[in-house]
Amino acid sequence: MTTAATNLRSVPLARRFLSFTWLTLGAALLVMAWAAVAQPSILIDTLVTGGMWALMAAGLAMVFGVMNIPNFAHGELFLLGSFTAFTVYSPIRDAMFNDPSLTVLKIFGPFPGMVAALLVGAVVGVLLEVVLFRPLRRRSREQWVMNTFLLTAGVSVVIVNGYRLAFGNNYHGVTRYWDVPPLEILGVPISVDRAMVLVIALVTIGLFAVFLQRTSLGRAIRAVSQDETGAQMAGIDLNRIFVLTMGLSCALAALAGAALLFLFPAYPDVGLQPLYLAWFVVILAGLGNIPGAIVGAFIVSLLQTLTAFYLRVGWVDVMPTVFIILILLFKPSGLFGSAVKGVWEQ
Amino acid sequence: MSAVSSGSATLADVIRTHRRRIGLLAILGVALVLPFIPPFTGEDYRRWLIVAAFMAAQAVAFDFTAGYINIVNFGFAAFVGLGAYTSGILAVDFGISPWIGMVVGASLAGLVGLVTGALTLRLRGIYAAVMAWFVGLALMGLVRNVPEVTRGSLGLSVPLLLDTSENLPYYYLILAMLVVTFVVLAWVIRSRYGLAFRAIGQNLASAKASGINPTRYLVINFVLSCAFAGWLGGFYAHFYGILTPDIMLTSHTVEVLAIAYIGGRGSLWGAAVVAFPLSIGVEWVKVQFSTLPGVHLVLYGVLLILVMIYRPGGVAGLARSLDEWWKRRRLPDRPSEATADTGG
Amino acid sequence: MGNGRMLELSNVEAGYELLQVLWDVSLHVDEGEFVALLGPNGAGKTTTLRTIAGFLKPSGGEITFRGTPIAGARAHAVSRMGLGYVSETLNLFPAMTVHENLQVGATSVRDRGQIAATMDLVFELFPRLHERRGQLAGTLSGGERKMLAIGRGLMASPSLLLVDEPSLGLAPMATVATFEALKALRERGVTIMLVEQNVNTTLHLVDRAYVLEQGRIVLEGTGQELLTNPHVQAAYLGI
Repeated sequence: MTTAATNLRSVPLARRFLSFTWLTLGAALLVMAWAAVAQPSILIDTLVTGGMWALMAAGLAMVFGVMNIPNFAHGELFLLGSFTAFTVYSPIRDAMFNDPSLTVLKIFGPFPGMVAALLVGAVVGVLLEVVLFRPLRRRSREQWVMNTFLLTAGVSVVIVNGYRLAFGNNYHGVTRYWDVPPLEILGVPISVDRAMVLVIALVTIGLFAVFLQRTSLGRAIRAVSQDETGAQMAGIDLNRIFVLTMGLSCALAALAGAALLFLFPAYPDVGLQPLYLAWFVVILAGLGNIPGAIVGAFIVSLLQTLTAFYLRVGWVDVMPTVFIILILLFKPSGLFGSAVKGVWEQ
Repeated sequence: MSAVSSGSATLADVIRTHRRRIGLLAILGVALVLPFIPPFTGEDYRRWLIVAAFMAAQAVAFDFTAGYINIVNFGFAAFVGLGAYTSGILAVDFGISPWIGMVVGASLAGLVGLVTGALTLRLRGIYAAVMAWFVGLALMGLVRNVPEVTRGSLGLSVPLLLDTSENLPYYYLILAMLVVTFVVLAWVIRSRYGLAFRAIGQNLASAKASGINPTRYLVINFVLSCAFAGWLGGFYAHFYGILTPDIMLTSHTVEVLAIAYIGGRGSLWGAAVVAFPLSIGVEWVKVQFSTLPGVHLVLYGVLLILVMIYRPGGVAGLARSLDEWWKRRRLPDRPSEATADTGG
Repeated sequence: MGNGRMLELSNVEAGYELLQVLWDVSLHVDEGEFVALLGPNGAGKTTTLRTIAGFLKPSGGEITFRGTPIAGARAHAVSRMGLGYVSETLNLFPAMTVHENLQVGATSVRDRGQIAATMDLVFELFPRLHERRGQLAGTLSGGERKMLAIGRGLMASPSLLLVDEPSLGLAPMATVATFEALKALRERGVTIMLVEQNVNTTLHLVDRAYVLEQGRIVLEGTGQELLTNPHVQAAYLGI
């Protein structure tokens, strides 16, 4: 597993990200520019879901980069987040309904649910690390990547079906968070919900970036991802960083679920699409590459929106495969950068 | 072999040298008479046996990749589904015999496996696993999105394989398919290919250094496993008589992989043997808690988690260490391999 | 212990799963001392340092650091107690700048003023690092990487610094610079334990040295004593 890790590190983030993705990025921006003129709703949907996929993908990339865990249960945090937000928001919505004069709730009502989702996500993430990954790490780090992948697959099945047992197959959602007329930006109407989701995404991503770049804890996280031994030599407690990383990553995924509740109501399988789109992003950007994951999320969101708009929503499931196969056909060394070629985890 | 020909060989020696084969034949014997032992004489319970044998065969095919080349085919259920739908559609739309359809389904699953494998098996294991999953999602999406052909989630009615509504013949059929799957894959494992698989699965770098072209072997392995998955899918289609895209759900892959890993990775027999008690137990739970859909999946998930953390070798690993312990006890003064290792 | 004993190993046994490397190793380092651990390749020098630094759990014996037993303690905890370790492989953070590497080295230090002061000291010892402070560690030359590793080790203001093979793979000029820096550090009161293969240079530099062969301490003495020891002369100095 050290080979896997070092190979990610030996290439500077920026360059790894440059090779393929800039081309796609340029193309994506062109399409978006065109979309903004022709079909503003495509642009808006791309930005709205893209922001949330960025939160999902950034967490996924971070957990892989720091802990070498390909988290297959990441989508289930989206589910838990959306259900938490629903549970917290419902009584608030009822209170507003009964007493329309509560203007404070009208503005700030949705936030408690999102904060609760963040907390639930963090707690679940910490539990996963302490209850599952730590015992496994203590016993054996052989074939760590594959073993943790299977472990998280088990976790995913348990959460999805446990949720199904507890809350059933019904949809738990809201039609909108902010019951106000849409904004108009450059002549294009945008619902306040969508605008707010984008704002939340940008603020969160900004805070996350500042945390990683400027704070001592953030630097410690990056240090662990680059060299575990070196980090320990510098007095960094790996267990603490793993707990923090897992908690943070899961909190971000849960926040995404909470913020998108009006688009994705909570139901057992709601995490699947966010999960595979986040995985798609992470594979395009390179495992463990957080900035790449953030930009890649918007590209994938654009693809998703275009697919759903011009074909049918169902084809979104097919899109990542077709896209990756096309890339692999024309560039057999892979979109994943040369660093990965022929590497194996031990 | 030498034990038999030499005059001094005792029965105990013969049993010792062939204990694996004898054990498996004994288990097969049990499986053969099982439908005549109550409660399995009832039709409903015989159906459980069919499910068990079907799961066993899938788990063997899955373990062939996961346990030997260390690649998790996360789209396994979709390959099963691909075989099922191919055979089903051929029978429905073209009137082709299911027996032929099953072979075509196996070939098509193998072909898709070939494309997937050739594109992704050069990359790191985790990419291959995720790509197999994507391919699985795409296949399921495809089936859902062309209802003109597949009837989507309404379900495709398919002719049955046998001209009977009794379960017993189906049980022996799937048992035979399980044996074929096991014997063929075990034979491959014993050939020089098996050696290469293991070398690659354990250490890619040194396998490369010893002149093995890893990608070729990885692809061969992957294609074989996918083809068997498709073939078994054909049985599924023509046994149940109705196909929905749900057959391709990732949760089915997780069921199969849970059995394979609980049985013990890299053993083939562990998966086959464990599948029976496990899936019969799960069927029982399903019936007991019929108001709680998905409870069996929680069970599989929890078992998988526990095995991954505490018994990564699964049942086969347990058997192996018991065997070693037994050998050491039996031969206290002869240095066995295990003691020689730790002594150095 | 009041006599300024910094580090003491008593009858330490350690190794890897099936292979014991260290047999009954006892040694000590006193406050302010500059001690070297010498020996041929594969003698167990690196294993000794890894065991002290907490990356390897000894199977027997005791290790005390300033009177506190540390055998079996986790590596980050040992580091936080003031025992710095610069490994042979350096273990830098290649995608971080020189400045960030040093900052991470000071993770256990709360006082910002102290961090700034230590960083000034590091830049004073290694002016090259100051020139390169915005550069990614992965792009540094071998000598610069070595300097950065030592600098990062210093950032936690350790009372004892273990340094593994500072001259390994360096050009002669860079080796001289590294040894000069270690000498300067020692003059500032940092206790240093050094593992080296470059026996001649090292013995002229250090106060005391141990010779480790096949996992056992075979000789101990001051630099001068060992330079005149017939076994050392025959086996390591080629006299």
